[in-house]
Amino acid sequence: MITLTIDGNSIQAAPGTTVMEAALAHGIDIPRLCYHPELSISGNCRLCMVEVEGWLNPTISCSLECQEGMVVRTQSAQLTAIRREILGLLLSDHPLNCLVCDKAGSCILQKYAYEVGLAGTPYPVEVARPLHQDDNPFFIRDHQFCIMCSRCVRVCDEVVGAHAIDIAGRGFHNHIATPFDGPMIDSSCVFCGSCVQVCPTAALLPASRKGLGREWELDRIKTICGYCGVGCEIEFAVKDGEILYARGTPEGPVNGEFLCTKGRYGWDFAESPDRLTQPLIRRDLAYALGLTDTPWALPETSVLEVEKPNIEDSFIPVDWDTALDVTATKLAETVQTYGPDAVMGLASARCTNEENYLFQKLMRLGIGTNNVDHCARL
Amino acid sequence: MTNSIREIRDADCIFITGSNTAESHPVLSYEVVRAAKRGAHVVILDPRRVPLVDHATLFLQAKPGTDIYIFLAMMHVIVREGWDDQAFIAERTEGYDAFVEVLRPYTPERAALMTGVPIEQIEAAARIYALGERADGASLYGDGRGHSTILYAMGITQRRNGTDLVMTLANLAMLCGQVGKPSTGVNPLRGQSNVQGACDVGCLVNVLPGYQNVTDAARRQAVAARWGVEDLPGAVGLTVVEAMDAAAEGKVRAAYIMGENPMLSDPNTTHVEAALRTLDFLVVQDIFLSDTAQLAHVVLPAASSLEKDGTITNTERRVQLIYPVIPPPGVARPDWEITGEIGARLDERLGRDRDPATWRFPSTAAIMEEIAAVTPIYGGILHPRLEGAGLQWPCPNADHPGTPILHTAAFSRGKGFFNLVEAQDPAELPDAEYPLILSTGRVLYHYHTGTMTRRSAPLNWREPGGYVEINPEDAAAAGLANGDEVVIESRRGAVQTWVKVSTDVPPGTVFIAFHWREAPANMLTQDHTLDPVAKIPEYKVCAVRLKKPHAAQEAAASAAD
Ligand code: SF4
Ligand code: SF4
Ligand code: FES
Repeated sequence: MITLTIDGNSIQAAPGTTVMEAALAHGIDIPRLCYHPELSISGNCRLCMVEVEGWLNPTISCSLECQEGMVVRTQSAQLTAIRREILGLLLSDHPLNCLVCDKAGSCILQKYAYEVGLAGTPYPVEVARPLHQDDNPFFIRDHQFCIMCSRCVRVCDEVVGAHAIDIAGRGFHNHIATPFDGPMIDSSCVFCGSCVQVCPTAALLPASRKGLGREWELDRIKTICGYCGVGCEIEFAVKDGEILYARGTPEGPVNGEFLCTKGRYGWDFAESPDRLTQPLIRRDLAYALGLTDTPWALPETSVLEVEKPNIEDSFIPVDWDTALDVTATKLAETVQTYGPDAVMGLASARCTNEENYLFQKLMRLGIGTNNVDHCARL
Repeated sequence: MTNSIREIRDADCIFITGSNTAESHPVLSYEVVRAAKRGAHVVILDPRRVPLVDHATLFLQAKPGTDIYIFLAMMHVIVREGWDDQAFIAERTEGYDAFVEVLRPYTPERAALMTGVPIEQIEAAARIYALGERADGASLYGDGRGHSTILYAMGITQRRNGTDLVMTLANLAMLCGQVGKPSTGVNPLRGQSNVQGACDVGCLVNVLPGYQNVTDAARRQAVAARWGVEDLPGAVGLTVVEAMDAAAEGKVRAAYIMGENPMLSDPNTTHVEAALRTLDFLVVQDIFLSDTAQLAHVVLPAASSLEKDGTITNTERRVQLIYPVIPPPGVARPDWEITGEIGARLDERLGRDRDPATWRFPSTAAIMEEIAAVTPIYGGILHPRLEGAGLQWPCPNADHPGTPILHTAAFSRGKGFFNLVEAQDPAELPDAEYPLILSTGRVLYHYHTGTMTRRSAPLNWREPGGYVEINPEDAAAAGLANGDEVVIESRRGAVQTWVKVSTDVPPGTVFIAFHWREAPANMLTQDHTLDPVAKIPEYKVCAVRLKKPHAAQEAAASAAD
């Protein structure tokens, strides 16, 4: 272990640890824009400058390895002046749209500008990257807000492995680009939204949230993804009972901040108008039970040939008590007439443990059969 | 999984087989990408060039259904070259000598002939896996050999010899001592969010919660006692595929289906529909009117996973809490409430005088307390303990921290046993009439039978319709071009879809995903040869032929004349 001092605290760090990592691990917050704990070091924003005793000039801490006996200062008048300067330069190329910006409140550029008390830029304002690309229903790329931290490029390459985007152009005209600035769908993008997740500004925004709510108005609810068996934790941003967008958090025990396209963007099925909203009884059974006067028979054509089933054609809505009573009666009749093994139950790999437990208890204890399976095999 | 997902990034070698990880388990594939970027070897064995092959250091493209020859040949080479872990074998396993005898005839030469994979690739895969070699740099571990992990999925299990294949992978890991340590093990990737949990809590025909055999009278009666009865049925029940046959024969008369869509997910769709139609009573509980629900007498509206609480268990055995994010639509209710109501009312109808609290629980946390009481591996799993990161079972008591890695000191049965496995070919091989092999699977943007993802606007925008992947050679032979319509026929049925010419599939093989109800892949798959132990149908291999739509119509018309 190496011992060094950061802001007067004596800190132990394993060899190879950077000053940034050591500081963060001990609750010392160094300003940073391009650094991300899950990504390689880029060192392009320069905001993470620190002073090292005995060194002539401040240096960036995200790429500085801890050394025995090193004495580091993360705050000083000189460092604040440098950070103001850097932020002023960034803002000279960034529209100050905070009044209407969806990212306001969670924008990291805004946070640091606030911390150093910067209301604008001392430099002439000129937006270098005017490109606005709204070419897919997953996310919007608004390049004017991009600060070229390259987090998106790194996450796409290093974590997702898609390498759909990279830095194109030089100097003032550099920007994040798909091949030939083409639409996302023509690139190798897998629409996982990891780039959106790590973007510190509004350059990359979920399309679903545009203009629908400010950060501080949103409820945050964490849950586990309902799709595959990886079990990623997702944090939903909800306003008035409606989901505005989804994201990962560093605390996710399996996935950290990362999700796939289904987890991050595939939640709108729940709000589909096709959802079942009330119990239904098929018309022939309803007729037999005296719930309707019109006789009916299930058509013989395969259900797969029905392009879009119309619920009213085949079912009538009933209340819960009716539906549950009919179900219990029919199951009881089957057990009494043909024995418990004439009933089978299919549980669900998409329901909870509690639900599946109760389901197999119903089949084994209530009905009295081991005919209980699910599509694990399938 | 024997090991945990986050260990994958630190593996020296990752051996992936029968898993399209990047599309079926995307976030887990990020772990593989990270390992590869840091210099790990990634070895992939698959009939299809799956997207993760972009990050592989070695890709073995075997003909569908022949992978068993590669596994056996790899072990043949490992034994021949002395790459096996003799210390581990002596200390932790049994049956090695007989096992080595079985391997003898499975030479890499024979495997190369059967699979089309060059001998050198088989030998390289054997060495890299056995020794845990990295592509770049020294092992991250200092304990003798590098750490290798095996990841597999449905490409292994959905086979007539799926159980043999799983045992073979376990043999491979034991042979090389690649088990019981970080970043090693044999790791099945589960397809759906709670397949693991549904199995854990006993939704299987032969086991009670916690994999306690229904035929084990003592275990069964212990559960029965907790449920307030003397005993429970002791005969193994009917699996889905068996139950469908029994329904068709009139032996099964009623079915209760909760959140499943066997119309699209089960093999031989025509047969499934016929079976469901013969039932006297079918009740389906779901969030949409699925194709299965369309055949139901009663449909019960359920809350989706975003609208309820409870727990689900992921593929690394981690039990995690879910929370309601939005309210359910209309009067839809969580499945546990509905099932509980049916239980209580069923007791009344059957004239049983039982406390309705057997079925009606005040909360999911209360149900979990009962699960913990009857399920030894979940003994310490209670909701208050799950906040944060959840717990990985086995977790036998309330102080137990959970188990991230299985088999660290011993196997469940004590010593690991080398099961003797011989190669077996797929049940349905191509012939003159049906010259191509069909393989089924998933695409990234859709999930299972598509009931959810196809109703998601962005996902459906990206992947609006189904297609069949055909190698350029086969496409040319059939006179088909990209975007053409094509009819795929098997001995069981036909589906029509669009052609996607792709070198991802080798000549002689076509691939179709099973998410599309307008082109239901399982019209084609076969249900006549199940794995004898796991009773899993062989979805992954069946014989088909291609026709242009008008030719198919003419043939059908002349057959009708
Ligand atoms: S959505 Fe994912 S794949 Fe697409 S550019 Fe962003 S990080 Fe890369
Ligand atoms: S976010 Fe993607 S990878 Fe994670 S659990 Fe959901 S479907 Fe699986
Ligand atoms: S955070 Fe260190 S240079 Fe950007």
